[in-house]
Amino acid sequence: MSQRSQFVGLYGRELLRTFRNPWVLVITFVQPFMWLAFFGSSFSGASPALVQQIFHTDSYIAFLLPGVLSTSMLTVGMFGSMSTIQDKRFGFMKRILLTPTSKATVYWSKVLGSTSRGLIQIPVMIVAALVFGVRFAGDPLMWAGWILGIFFLGLGMSCFFLAMTASSTDWQTPGVISNFITMPLMFASGALLPLANFPAWMQAIASVNPVSFSSLLGRGIVVFGTVDWSYLGYLALFAVGMLLAGTAIASRYLKAE
Amino acid sequence: MATNAILTENLTKVYGKLTAVDHVNLKVGEGTVFGLLGPNGAGKTTMIKLLTGLTDITEGEAYVAGFNVRRDPMHVKQRIGWVASEVILDDDFTAWENLWLQAKLQSLPEWKDRAENLLTYFGLLDRRKDRVKTFSTGMRKKLEIALALLHQPEVVFMDEPTIGLDANTRHMLWDLIIGVNKEFGITVLLTSHYIEEADALCEQISIIDHGKFVASGSPTELKARVRSDFVELETREAVDEAQLRTIPGVSDVRTQGKTWILRVSAAEEVLPHLFSTLKTDEIRRINVEKPSLETVFLDITGERIDQPGSDVPDYRKFYAQMRRARQ
Repeated sequence: MSQRSQFVGLYGRELLRTFRNPWVLVITFVQPFMWLAFFGSSFSGASPALVQQIFHTDSYIAFLLPGVLSTSMLTVGMFGSMSTIQDKRFGFMKRILLTPTSKATVYWSKVLGSTSRGLIQIPVMIVAALVFGVRFAGDPLMWAGWILGIFFLGLGMSCFFLAMTASSTDWQTPGVISNFITMPLMFASGALLPLANFPAWMQAIASVNPVSFSSLLGRGIVVFGTVDWSYLGYLALFAVGMLLAGTAIASRYLKAE
Repeated sequence: MATNAILTENLTKVYGKLTAVDHVNLKVGEGTVFGLLGPNGAGKTTMIKLLTGLTDITEGEAYVAGFNVRRDPMHVKQRIGWVASEVILDDDFTAWENLWLQAKLQSLPEWKDRAENLLTYFGLLDRRKDRVKTFSTGMRKKLEIALALLHQPEVVFMDEPTIGLDANTRHMLWDLIIGVNKEFGITVLLTSHYIEEADALCEQISIIDHGKFVASGSPTELKARVRSDFVELETREAVDEAQLRTIPGVSDVRTQGKTWILRVSAAEEVLPHLFSTLKTDEIRRINVEKPSLETVFLDITGERIDQPGSDVPDYRKFYAQMRRARQ
């Protein structure tokens, strides 16, 4: 049985719910500015030579932008998980699963819904960076590849979150998971700082951390105008792997209530 | 099986050590309103979950609309509707958007005419562009029933649809349920712990207690099984049960603390003897019940269907919490 109609309905529901919640929109638009303002200002007092020496560019904000976008994708899955738990607690999941809708379709709609929500930040963040005076490198093909890489990262992380909470009805679970994984994945990556100064064990984690792949892919493009497509390949593998594993888990363990 | 909208054979559900539904055999004829009557925790909701494929069957088989629930759950789900005890809608969506989503979930290519007809039938057409959070509880219930009917189901499951509603809204829903059954020819399986609801709506009833069917039949047939009256007596002090049994016309005595339930041949003949046996200042409260579905349940299980202190949720509070949580 085709699940396209059910997917369109549920994904449309996720988008409608996102855009009808004024606080989600406000935070989505304000957060990137805050990231760039606070983190981006952390080296504003340093001499241009020092910034150039550490980051190989004279703008820490330009260096930071791909990392911040990658880091923000770490938490988008948490919102998808919380929305799923809300549906279970208020009975909506029961309403869905009493129609000919497969659990996999519910899972995909939630995953893509939360990823889409995360992607809204990309144009906002880029505009914010322009406001902060950043000049970008790269061509449209490279930029498309970078955005696709962020999409893969968000998709993979959403798949992970939603699979981990497939059977949960506890509001706290997504937050606990987020707290547990966000810090290690953020700091053991090239998102905020260059990998060259990391100790060996952190470099080892960073070398398999998808947040690093997304950050390094983007940084090469927007800062230096160069691209290493292998990062996109790794991110695609990460997303597909998580999607397959998550679909199997959700098909078995997604609960109606 | 052709004339049965629902059929079960030894249907059983076990949760750990608890047998929630215990070898139940059920036949529900097409186009009827069938009631599952029982107290909270009797197994009514589990029955609905089993019949709709929402939970796995431990043992036995179930057929709904001609399909095996275990083997063809998706075919069953295409042919059933569901109305919950609490209203489950997207509050931030309009009535029309809720119908749109239901149409998508049921893969309906042509649904708008049907949706308009249903909204007209339920008196909601002029509110279709309004967000559901502005609706009254009665309007929300109507919309929920409209969602359940959108794909023209053969069977609609209603799980305690009027619980927590005020008397006016409840009676309005009764009229709608009868109308839906007559107008659309849909089989309705309704669970309730309101005796009068089952009596008013259902052509056939099964009484379920501790996961087992303890009696089945039409309301008239069930009431005919109990020819006795019941006298419920609350006393200040414990009284001698043997003394109560000696009263002429008393055929059975059951006790729950200081409350006594006497099964009697005719209450009006027994009461004078009762008052002469007990001192009047010993009696705190006395209640006489003529044969009804309530006394049928009392006779079969020894308990009232809705014991005082039973956990009946306050759905008005629930709706308010839900709306707040979604804002």
